[in-house]
Amino acid sequence: MNAPEIQIKNVSMVYPVNNGQDIVALTDVNLDIQEGEFISLLGPSGCGKTTLLRIIADLNQPTAGSVAIRGQSPRDIRMQRKYGIVFQNPVLYDWRTVRRNICMPMEIMGIPKKERTARINRVLELVGLQDFGDKYPFELSGGMQQRVGIARALALDPEFLFMDEPFSALDEFTREKLNEDLLSIWSKAKKTVIFVTHNIPESVFLSDRVVVLSPHPGRISAIVDINLPRPRENSIRETPEFYEYVTKIRRSFEGV
Amino acid sequence: MSVAIGKREQRIVAIVWVIGIIVVWELASFLLKYVIQDPMASAKLPYPHIVAMTFVENWKILLEAGLVTFSRAAIGFALGSSVGILLAVLMSLSKTMERIAFPYLIVSQMIPVLGLAPIIFNIVRDMNVSRIMIAAYITFFPVAVNMLSGLKSVEQEKKDLLFSIASSKFKVYQKLMLPFSMSYLFTGLKIAAPMAVTASILVDMLGSKSGIGVKILYSLYSNSSNIFWASVLTSAFMGIISFYVVVFAERLCLPWQKATPRKEGVRA
Repeated sequence: MNAPEIQIKNVSMVYPVNNGQDIVALTDVNLDIQEGEFISLLGPSGCGKTTLLRIIADLNQPTAGSVAIRGQSPRDIRMQRKYGIVFQNPVLYDWRTVRRNICMPMEIMGIPKKERTARINRVLELVGLQDFGDKYPFELSGGMQQRVGIARALALDPEFLFMDEPFSALDEFTREKLNEDLLSIWSKAKKTVIFVTHNIPESVFLSDRVVVLSPHPGRISAIVDINLPRPRENSIRETPEFYEYVTKIRRSFEGV
Repeated sequence: MSVAIGKREQRIVAIVWVIGIIVVWELASFLLKYVIQDPMASAKLPYPHIVAMTFVENWKILLEAGLVTFSRAAIGFALGSSVGILLAVLMSLSKTMERIAFPYLIVSQMIPVLGLAPIIFNIVRDMNVSRIMIAAYITFFPVAVNMLSGLKSVEQEKKDLLFSIASSKFKVYQKLMLPFSMSYLFTGLKIAAPMAVTASILVDMLGSKSGIGVKILYSLYSNSSNIFWASVLTSAFMGIISFYVVVFAERLCLPWQKATPRKEGVRA
């Protein structure tokens, strides 16, 4: 095996609380992620999956342990603007149209205008919003807004894509549709993806590996390789193999 | 469309109100004069149609006087807004700055303008500068407070997004903090604009030679009640106009607010 792209070593995260009973969000997490892998961090609320992602993205600092991304610190990776991030909420700027929302990070990075326009056109098509570029966020449905958030991250053409429950606020139909879209986007541009979710079928459908976390304190309780063939379409959800993976992961929670 | 109906209803309500006030006013004037038979009735509450006629007859003088006051109020308003915005940005940048400045801001609002205006006039000895300064003084507080509350209301995730691409503090303000706070700023401006006009009128009364406040004061003393009422009406218009100028500017600057944004529960 190659040297891991992302190496998480003994990471712990403790939130101090006034009454002395500190909240242990993560304890001693170890994980290696390979280049081009699609990894899901799966677990119930309070298992620290979002915290772990935020530590990898340098949005939080671990209280112990370290993360190395290609041998560099998360801060270095962030300062080099090497990752794109999608949040639970679309996090769109209300005063900007869809196009200008996607454009915003590129403006800050100083990407030339011509290049920006080209990229916006490309990602809008990728997420199927060609006709909505000049709309304001409030004119879009929740699913469309979330797609703008994804398009904005993709426009940066980042080497890593970090996604924090991006579809959790959406209904099942939209979610499955966007899952499929996400895979087709990913298959075209093999990025390393870390995807946080609390939805078991979603994690099975998307991932190469599902990292199961359990709460109190947050830790990795299982890592499940998903050996379903790619490219995957939504019809795969009806196969016995898919069902087996879902059951296997669900059972791993029952033991907790 | 439901929005259009809402607007039409609003307009109808406004028209009914205006007509209602005029009718009640006419009636009250009539009662005062003929039922109560007050000898001072025409001075206490002249008929609105007579006031309106006086207004039309003297529109040139009133407009001139109004413009003198209004233009100074506008300059002061612009000045005060700039100071307010600057203060808000400084306070949002530094907690220490906020802790130092905020108590003074509060105290500054406890000094009555009525007392402050003569002091400032005594120092600067210039009517126009006094008008501008008082208008600015009245303006900066609501602007600063609302702007600061806007800057503080920016959601953490929106900031995280910029943090994730390592943007500079300057860019964070330019791309996120300032545009986000615009609607808060306009709330402050809408509160401040009529207040700035009122303050300028007040300064007029401290011994100015021109301005709408002078008209109000002189006509009050010289017992020409029709001019007095017409002047008061002019002042009221000035306040209303100042408010709607800000509203208009807001529509122009914040086009994404034209429709009421769908906040929650939007689904694909």
